[in-house]
Amino acid sequence: MGYVAVIPLLPALAFAILAPLSGELRNRLRGVAVAGMAGSLVLSVIAFFQTWPGGHAEHPVWHVTFPLAEISGKPLEMGLMLDPISAAMLLVITIVGMCVQIYSLGYMHRDGRVGWYYAALSLFTAAMLLLVLADNFLLLYMAWEVMGLCSYLLIGFWHEQEAPRKASQKAFLTTRVGDVGFAIGLFAMYNAAGTFSFEGVLGSAASWAPGAATLVALMLLFGAMGKSAQVPLHVWLPDAMAGPTPASALIHAATMVAAGVYLVARALPIFEVSGVALTVTLWVGAITAMVGGLLAAVQHDIKKVLAYSTISQLGYMFIALGAGSVVAAMFHLVTHAFFKSLLFLGAGVIIHASHTQDMREMGGLAKHLKITTITFTAGSLALAGVFPFSGFWSKDEILAVLLHEQQYGVFVIALIAAFITAFYVARLWFRVFMGPEQSDELHEAHTSMLAPMVLLASITTVIGVGGYWFAEFLGHHGAWPEPKIYLPSLVAAGAGLALGWWAYGRMNVVLNTRPLKHRAGYAYDMLSMKLYFDLTYDTFVIKPYMRLALAFAIFDFKRIDGVVNGVARSWRTLSDRGWKFDRTVIDGAVNASASGARALGSRLRRIQVGRVQAYQRYVVGAVVLLMLWTVVKGA
Amino acid sequence: MQVGLEVFLGLAAVLFALGLYGAISKKSAVMVLMSLELMAVAVNINLVAFSRFLTPEAMTGQFFTIFTMVVSAAEIGLGLALVLAIYRQSRSIELAGMNRLKG
Repeated sequence: MGYVAVIPLLPALAFAILAPLSGELRNRLRGVAVAGMAGSLVLSVIAFFQTWPGGHAEHPVWHVTFPLAEISGKPLEMGLMLDPISAAMLLVITIVGMCVQIYSLGYMHRDGRVGWYYAALSLFTAAMLLLVLADNFLLLYMAWEVMGLCSYLLIGFWHEQEAPRKASQKAFLTTRVGDVGFAIGLFAMYNAAGTFSFEGVLGSAASWAPGAATLVALMLLFGAMGKSAQVPLHVWLPDAMAGPTPASALIHAATMVAAGVYLVARALPIFEVSGVALTVTLWVGAITAMVGGLLAAVQHDIKKVLAYSTISQLGYMFIALGAGSVVAAMFHLVTHAFFKSLLFLGAGVIIHASHTQDMREMGGLAKHLKITTITFTAGSLALAGVFPFSGFWSKDEILAVLLHEQQYGVFVIALIAAFITAFYVARLWFRVFMGPEQSDELHEAHTSMLAPMVLLASITTVIGVGGYWFAEFLGHHGAWPEPKIYLPSLVAAGAGLALGWWAYGRMNVVLNTRPLKHRAGYAYDMLSMKLYFDLTYDTFVIKPYMRLALAFAIFDFKRIDGVVNGVARSWRTLSDRGWKFDRTVIDGAVNASASGARALGSRLRRIQVGRVQAYQRYVVGAVVLLMLWTVVKGA
Repeated sequence: MQVGLEVFLGLAAVLFALGLYGAISKKSAVMVLMSLELMAVAVNINLVAFSRFLTPEAMTGQFFTIFTMVVSAAEIGLGLALVLAIYRQSRSIELAGMNRLKG
C-alpha cells in the first residue's frame, strides 16, 4: 500500500512545478494543480476502500516508519500510517479539495494571479494530507505549520488591499499564540514519553508522572484552539474571510480549522488520563458553540455569518471530544466539512451575482439562481440540523453522547446553540433568497462552479444516514438516533427556523430592517461589538505592545543610533585624515615617480631617431670617448 | 728592405678610417656594407701584422684571420640578402628611409 505515501506527494509536486514559474506561465498551467488533486482523490478513494470495513482502531492498516535522527541515543522516527480516521479524513480532504479546485476554475478565472492561488492551494492540500497521515506528533506539527503558512498566503491573496493584508497577519499571529502552546505540549510530551509517535505516546500516557498528562493535554488543546478558532482565540477566523471564497471553503471551513479537532481526537487518550483536560475541552467547546452562534446572528456580511457559524460548529466538535467521543466529533467534522464548504461555495456564487457581501443589499435570489438556491438550501438545512440532512445526524450523535455522559448543563447549552444556529440560518436564507430583488442583473454561475456544489449537496443530503457505519468503521458501536434526543433537537431547530422566518421572512418587504436590534437593545450592541473580544485584545495586548515597541523605537533612535552615529562620525574624521595623507604623500610619491619616468623617456626618445647611421655615430663617439678615457687614465 | 710593423698598422688605420667614413656617410645600403667590409679588412691586416711581428713562431693570428674572413663573407651574404629583400619591398635601398620600426 505504498501508494498512500503518494497521496500528499501529488499536490506537493504540483506546488513544486508551479511555484518557480513566471506568473503568466503559472496561470496557464493551473491544470497541473487540478490534475495532482484528482490523482490524490483517486488514490484516497482506493485507500478508503482498502481500509473498509475498518473496525480495528488500534492497528493501522498500513504503517511505514524510518529513523530520521538520533537524540541522545534515542532514535527519532518519522513515518506515515493509514488507519480508519486517516482514511476518512483523506476522503473528506480530497473530495472537498477537488470540488474547490474545480469551482475555482470558474470563480478565479479572471484573476491575474490564479496560478499562484492554485500553487498555494496545492501546498495547503499536501500539508493537510500529510497531517492526517502522520504517525507522530512532530510530523503532524510540521504539516500543521505549513498549513498555517498557506492559510496566511491565501487570506492575504489580494494583498493590494489593506483588509486582506491585516487579516492574514492577524490570522498568522493569533494561530501562532496557539502554536506556542502546541510546541510546549510537544516538549512536555517528549519529556514524559521520550517519543513523539502516536503509539508510544498514547500507550504510555497512563504511566506518566502526575500532572504531566494534564500539562500535555492542555497545551495541545491550546494549540488546537488556535487552529480551530475556539474562544478566546477565535478572532482571526471572521477576518480570514477577506481571502478568496473558495479558499475559505477549503481551509477555513472544511479542513484546516478541523485540524485542531483531529489533533485532540488523536491525543484523546492523554485527555482521558488527565480528566481535567477533558472537562476544559468540553467547556471550551460549549462556550465557543454558544458565542459563535450568537455572533453569527448579528453579522451582516454573509461570509462572516458562515465564519462564526464555523466557529460554533467547531465548538460542537470540541464538546463531543470533551465528552470523550472521537466518533461523534469526527462524524460532525465530516458532515460539517461537506455542508459548510457547500455553503461557502454557494456564498461565492451569491457574492458574484449580487456584487456585495452585505446581506442587507441582497434579496430575491431564489428566482434567478435556481440551482444555487436548491444546493444552498440543502446546506442550510444540514447546518440547522433538519432531518434528513447530514447535520441532523451528527448533531444528534453529539447530543446523545452528552446525555450518555450525563453532562446535562452542556446538553442544554448545545440545544440552545442549535436553536440559535437554526435562527441565523433562517435569517441568512430569507434575507438572501427571499424579499425584493436588489439588482436586476442576477446570473446563475457557470457549470464548473455549479457541478461541485451539486455534488456536495448530494453528499450532504445522504451522508448522515452513514453515521451508524461510520462509528463501526472507527471501531466503535454504531447507534441509531433515539426519540429522546432527536425530538428536542428537532424542536430547537424548528423553533429557530420559525423565529428566523418570523423576524426576516414574514414581512418580505422592508430592507435594512433590524428587528433584532430593536428588540434586544443593549445585548444586540454587545454582540455587534463581537462581545468585545477584538476590543479587549486591542486594549490590553496590541496597544500596550505598540506603546512598548514605540518606547523601544525611541530608545533605539536616540541612544543606540547616537552611539552608532558617534562611532561613524569618528571613523569618518579618521578616514578623512587618511584620505588627505593618501592624496598628498602616497599619491605624490607615485605621481612623482611616474612623471619622472615620463620626463626621462621624452628626453631619451630624441636620440632614438631610427636611422642606422645615427646609431653608428653614437657607437663611434662612445668608442672614441672610451679610448680617450683609457688614454688619459693610462697617462 | 725590411717593411716595419708601423707600415702595416698605418695602412690598416687608413683603411679603417675610410671604412668608418663610408659606413657613416653613404646613403646606399650597399655602399655601407662595402665600407663595413673595408673596416673588417683593416682589422684582418692588423691581426696578421701583429701575428707576424710579435709571435712569428705561432700561427694564431693567421688562423684567426681566416675565421673572421669566413664570418664576414657570411655576414655580407646575409646583409646583401636583406638589402635585396628591402629593395623588393620599397624599391629603394636608401638607409634614411629604413626607419619604419622606430618607436
